[in-house]
Amino acid sequence: MLVKFKLNGLDVKYDIEPGEFLLDTLKEDVKSLKKGCDGSACGVCTVLLDGKPVLSCSLLTAKCDGHEITTVEGIQDVAEKVAECFGKEGADQCGYCNSAFALIIYALSKEYKNPTDEEIKRFLVGNLCRCTGYQSQFLAVKRYLGGLK
Amino acid sequence: MKVKEYVKAKSLEEAYSLLKANPLNRVVGGGLWLKKGNMDLNMLIDLSGLGLDKIEEKDGFIEIGALVTLREVEKSELLQEAFHSLVSKAAGLVMGPAFRNIATIGGSVAGKLAFSDVITALLACNASLRFYPSGEKSLEEYLKEPGLSKEILTHIIVKQCHRLSFYKRVGLTELDYPIISVAITHCVKHDKYTVAVGSRAGVAALAEDVMKALEAGERDFEKVAKEVLKMKFNDSLASKAEYRAHLAEVYVRRGLEEVSK
Repeated sequence: MLVKFKLNGLDVKYDIEPGEFLLDTLKEDVKSLKKGCDGSACGVCTVLLDGKPVLSCSLLTAKCDGHEITTVEGIQDVAEKVAECFGKEGADQCGYCNSAFALIIYALSKEYKNPTDEEIKRFLVGNLCRCTGYQSQFLAVKRYLGGLK
Repeated sequence: MKVKEYVKAKSLEEAYSLLKANPLNRVVGGGLWLKKGNMDLNMLIDLSGLGLDKIEEKDGFIEIGALVTLREVEKSELLQEAFHSLVSKAAGLVMGPAFRNIATIGGSVAGKLAFSDVITALLACNASLRFYPSGEKSLEEYLKEPGLSKEILTHIIVKQCHRLSFYKRVGLTELDYPIISVAITHCVKHDKYTVAVGSRAGVAALAEDVMKALEAGERDFEKVAKEVLKMKFNDSLASKAEYRAHLAEVYVRRGLEEVSK
């Protein structure tokens, strides 16, 4: 079946299997997309659907027809600022979770004007990192959000 | 998972007709369980064009469309006011926002998911369900029926009510399935309590013996909470039945104390 949607602002179409998930559809074309647990748990496959974070491993591609998908390639300016904040706080090691974190942090900044520490933690809870223990990432998020003011 | 066909239904009538046509045809909510189920299907029926994604106030009730996501339930101002935000709070505890932006309340409820936080919370709110084509029944009644419905769940309905509420879920980690969940509401005006326990390694149920004791006027909550031990608790990989029962007793007591202040 043919599915049409916007990917990072560009119109795209894919001929997919009806039961196909977005991560599998896009993985060859979008280099930032990672397959982690492939089971809705780790968050490393996060993309934005109409600006809202979703798990691409668990989102049927057919449901994306007519919608807008954003990956980290579509928010390069934001991703660079997030990367800078991560660098300053020592918040990345292997980097595998970084693309997803950039997107979830971007989504957080759009949804909350002045999030509390608790709101930040609750928003990021679904994005796992094997390396850092999260404290440095939390500080990096605060640094990034502080830079937006 | 292999699926032969994906159809976006133009009406509930069409969707129901397609659903009945083949036992391997399924209505899809968020679709999160399709991957975990790993079962080959004939057809997925998408209801997303049918207006089931709204939360609306009608005659003193809140009607939640089955395709409303858990994130929308969490953020709904209507649901944050009702039952002191019991349902929106419970929905907000499920995984992270990227998960909740896909998971639908209808998918959780229709599937009678044993670990579902929203089912436990809705049960304590005496929620009812609207199915196509048969109409409405209470959530309590639906959960007691064997198996899953072969009809289409369209709405979950709760009264606009300001009962005090308590919700507690215990999980090994934030992202793990709960090993117990307790939801309690207290109508102060009528001094009536509703107590639901979920994740028993069994779908959520009302704690009937606890409620009977409260209905009889017993207000020694330590004594009342022991009645929850008459519910059935099961072992699972995450927890032994004995531990679940112990947690249920503790949190029923604490919940009753909190909603009685």
